[in-house]
Parts: sequence; structure tokens; C-alpha cells
Amino acid sequence: MLEFNLQPETKKKATSGDLYDVVIVGAGPAGMTTAIYTSRDGLKTLILEKESVGGLAATTHLIENYPGFPDGINGMELMERFRKQAERFGTELVEFGEVVKVDPRDAGRFEVHAQGGQVYQGRTVVLATGSRPKKLGIPGEKEYYGRGLSYCATCDGPFFRDKDVIVIGAGNSGLQDGIPMLDYANHVTFLEFLPTSRAERILQDRAREHPKSTLRFNQQVTEIKGDKTVTGVVAIDRETGEEQLFPTDGVFIYVGYSPDSEFVADLVARDKWGYIHSDENMRTKVAGLYAIGDVRADNPAQLSISVGNGTRAALDIREYLLKLEAEG
Amino acid sequence: MALLNEEILQNVTEMLSDMPNAVKLVIFTKSKDCEYCPQIVQLAEEVAAVSDKVTVETHNFDAAQDEAAALNIEMAPAIAILGEKDYGLRFYGIPSGYEFSTLLHGIQKASVGISDLDESTQAFLGSLKKPVHLQVFVTPTCPYCPRAAVLAYEMATESDLVHAEVVESMEFQELATEFNVMGVPLSIVNGKERVEGAAPPEMIVKAIKAALA
Ligand SMILES: Cc1cc2nc3c(=O)[nH]c(=O)nc-3n(C[C@H](O)[C@H](O)[C@H](O)COP(=O)(O)OP(=O)(O)OC[C@H]3O[C@@H](n4cnc5c(N)ncnc54)[C@H](O)[C@@H]3O)c2cc1C
Repeated sequence: MLEFNLQPETKKKATSGDLYDVVIVGAGPAGMTTAIYTSRDGLKTLILEKESVGGLAATTHLIENYPGFPDGINGMELMERFRKQAERFGTELVEFGEVVKVDPRDAGRFEVHAQGGQVYQGRTVVLATGSRPKKLGIPGEKEYYGRGLSYCATCDGPFFRDKDVIVIGAGNSGLQDGIPMLDYANHVTFLEFLPTSRAERILQDRAREHPKSTLRFNQQVTEIKGDKTVTGVVAIDRETGEEQLFPTDGVFIYVGYSPDSEFVADLVARDKWGYIHSDENMRTKVAGLYAIGDVRADNPAQLSISVGNGTRAALDIREYLLKLEAEG
Repeated sequence: MALLNEEILQNVTEMLSDMPNAVKLVIFTKSKDCEYCPQIVQLAEEVAAVSDKVTVETHNFDAAQDEAAALNIEMAPAIAILGEKDYGLRFYGIPSGYEFSTLLHGIQKASVGISDLDESTQAFLGSLKKPVHLQVFVTPTCPYCPRAAVLAYEMATESDLVHAEVVESMEFQELATEFNVMGVPLSIVNGKERVEGAAPPEMIVKAIKAALA
């Protein structure tokens, strides 16, 4: 089945001069949920997205635990629906518009600077920047990126038809993205640092029961080997101390995520990993500035939680703007 | 059966509604070993049907060698996106999945004929003396890919010396293997400098400098 997805860069050209009620940074599920609410509520809403709509959720092959989709739904398709719903109520969306700085000016006015030099103005700003895959920081990782080493199985898996691949990390994301490769790869080996997998039972069972997959625990990967492209992965067995070379054609790294919050480091309070602290109404310590979704501290990375956060922020924004106006 | 559903068509209509100049999609198909050739033509026709500015011309690659050569097309299936002039925008394979966006952006670029690049990138491209051949390898399931592809199209629109080819890797596996493509997006400058990932303009500029040095 052929599918066609449209990512209009800017359907309506957002203008830097306008004052938006809400400027949302990041078009993942969290940011788009806030946008659905605020634009439906008549607030002038802009989303600035560094890449393209959908965030991490869009790179997920099949999402099975988001309520309302009993057969599961493809991540990209679900995010397309979020986008449509937001745009239906008038949300403006700018893709390829990375935010590099948020500058609080007078009460109720922020300047939001994009990489291309555009400056957008918002009465409130919502940080919904999510997180990005962590690197292992081992020899060979940088050299072989794009040459058999990848952080996105949905994007690059198809290069490994009938080939052997290794997935480093057997947590939820590693298993969830690795399992679909079993459909076409020759063999998938999962290497996990911990003695057990922390992934959902159902995913573990699927990986374990599949004839083309192997799960190995207590494996500390120390190096990616290759020639022109990846040829193997070196790992130390943490129980026996033995070093082993696992030959492979491809390597996918799923060892967790780190938050995209550097650009607001001196503005908000963050935990030691860089996740942004916000209260139960999603407020950061700066009035009118919110943090939601995966970038928020102490938040389990789940779609429905991001969606809940997005709603919470939207409701508080309405109150906040009303109060601002009353104070005049 | 139509390839594009009603909703997508409506978005396409909107996106192409204020195009200043006409755009011609010149398609080269092959009779053999081309799984999606009929769909590529159909897709282009469905897009052209909603805009009076877009037209489609179809050739058989094996028969129309001269036409292909005139457009620097050496393999098929291929789409040349031509505006008032040939800005050098090409798509190899079927622009499905996320790559459908790339096609539409290409059409918009070819119509407007002006890039949205920042000043310093424009200045650099303006100073080019030698031809630059950008190849961007993509897959339809890669959400990061259109960013790299569209950037290449922007650069080609800006400079007559830049030629931008977006290549759907699954349909051109030999070429992908030749360049050791195992991850996308991958931009290759003049067949030698590689830039992995959806890189900002500065990184492509750096690779162009290295390739021309
Ligand atoms: C492999 C995998 C499988 C998963 N499976 C499930 C599942 O089955 N069920 C489930 O509930 N959850 C799942 N998740 C988790 C879920 O995807 C996340 O919880 C969710 O995407 C978080 O949403 P978000 O909007 O906070 O952030 P994201 O989805 O990460 O979106 C953030 C967006 O912000 C953009 N951005 C970042 N910085 C900037 C900037 N400076 N300027 C502009 N834009 C910026 C990013 O490009 C991105 O598009 C999975 C995650 C992964 C990786």
C-alpha cells in the first residue's frame, strides 16, 4: 500500500511581527495537543517545529497503547491526525524552524528566536521539545553513523532486508522499533546492558518467541567495528567479563533519550539530566512559560501523558491570559 | 483507484493555489524493472489535475534518450521539476510517504524561482564558480528526510550551478550500495563529500567547499 503524507512547511505564512497568544516550541503530541485546545478556544496559536510534525511519536511504527485505536496505529498517521485537528481550528505551523532562544520581555510578551533569524512574539510560550536519542559515546559510533549505524529503525531499517542487525538496548523503544525489523531482516540480536529487560511484558515475549531474534543481557557494548560500513559490535559480558565480537551488518542504538532543553538552560529550573521542572499546571518558574511532555521532569515518556500535559497547559494558559487582561 | 485521498488533495490544492509561474513535471518511466512507474505518472497527474499551473509530460526512458540527456537524467524512474527555467530539481523514484512533501515543495520552488535561504548561504552560492551536484538519499518512511531534500532544492533554486537530485534509496539500491548508503537522509556533494542527517545549510556549504577545494 502506498501512502502519501503531506508536511506543508507553512500553510499560512506565520509573520514575525504578529503577537501570538501562544507560541509552542515543538510539534510532537504534547505541543499539538495544547494547540488543539488553545486554537479551538480562539487563541492565536503558532507552533514552531525544528524538523517536521510528529516528534518521536511519528517515528514509531506501531503504537498499541494509545486509547481509541484497538488495532494500534502507525505513529506518523496518528500525528498527521493531531496536526489536522490543530490546523482545523486555525493553528499556524512552521516546520524546519528551530527555536534557539526564548527571551522574556515585558510581562506577557516573549520573543522567540528561530535559527533563520526570525523573531516571533508570544504572550505565552510552551516548551514541548521532547527528547532525542542518546549516544553511547563509544569508538566507532560517530564514524559509522549513516554507514550501518542508526538511531531510527523506522527510517533506516529497510536497508537491512535479509541482513543481520543488532539493536543495542532492549527497553521499550529498542524492542518496539526492533521487532518490526524481524519481518524482513535475516536476524535481529538485542543487546541489553541490564540483567533483565524493563520493557513491557508483551514486547519481551514477542522478541523472545520470534525464531529470528536473540536477546542477550548483561552486555556492555564497548566498540562499533567496521570497514567501509559496520561489520560488528564488541561487547563485554558483565557477568563473566568476557569480551565478544558480534558480527553484524547494521546497528541500531536505543539506549534512552535526553531532553532538548539546552536553549532555555538559563531561563528555567532543570534536573541533573536537563529535564525541565514545571508544576502541576505545567508552569515553569517564569510566568507565562510552560513545559510539557517528554522534556518535563519526572514525566514517564508516554503519548497519553504528553497529551494530558498539553491539555493541562492549555487550560492554565486561558486562565493566565484572562488574568493578564484583567490586570490590563 | 485514486492514489491521493480527498483530504490530501485539498491540501495540495491549497498549497499550489498561489503559484506565480507554470511548472512542468517531466517523467521518465521504464518498461522493465519499475514497480511504481504507473503510480508515478498517476500521482503526477492527480497533482496536475488540481492546479492549472502544473502540467505533466511522460517519456519512456529507453526510447527518449535525447530528452533524458538534455535534462541530465541518467536513470529512471525520474521526475524533472521544471519552472520558467530548469532549476535543476530532480526526483528519482516514487515520491510517496513523507517524500510526497518533497515533491510539492519542489513544485512550489520551481514556480517561485526564489529560495528561502538565509543571506550568508545565498551569498556563498552566488560566489560559486564550478558546478555542484547534490544527491540526497531518502526513504519514504523517514520523517527527517524532506528537510534535507528541500534544502537541496532550495540551493538548486538559488544557484544555476547547483543541480539537486533526491533519490529514493529502496528503488535505486545499486546506487545506494555504490555510495554505501545505509541510513537516511544522506547528502552527497559531487559524488564525494557526505553529510549524514538533516543538516543545517552551513554544513552543506562546508561540504560544498570541501568538494570544490
Ligand atoms: C521508539 C519509540 C517508541 C515509543 N512507543 C510509544 C508507545 O507505544 N506508546 C506511547 O505512549 N509512547 C511511546 N513512545 C513515547 C512517545 O513517543 C513520547 O512520549 C512522545 O512522543 C513525547 O511527546 P512530546 O511532544 O513531549 O515530544 P516529541 O514527540 O519528542 O516532540 C518534540 C518535538 O519538538 C521538536 N523540537 C525539539 N527542539 C526544538 C527546538 N529547539 N525548536 C523547535 N522544535 C524543537 C522536535 O523536533 C520534536 O518534533 C515511544 C517513543 C519511542 C522513541
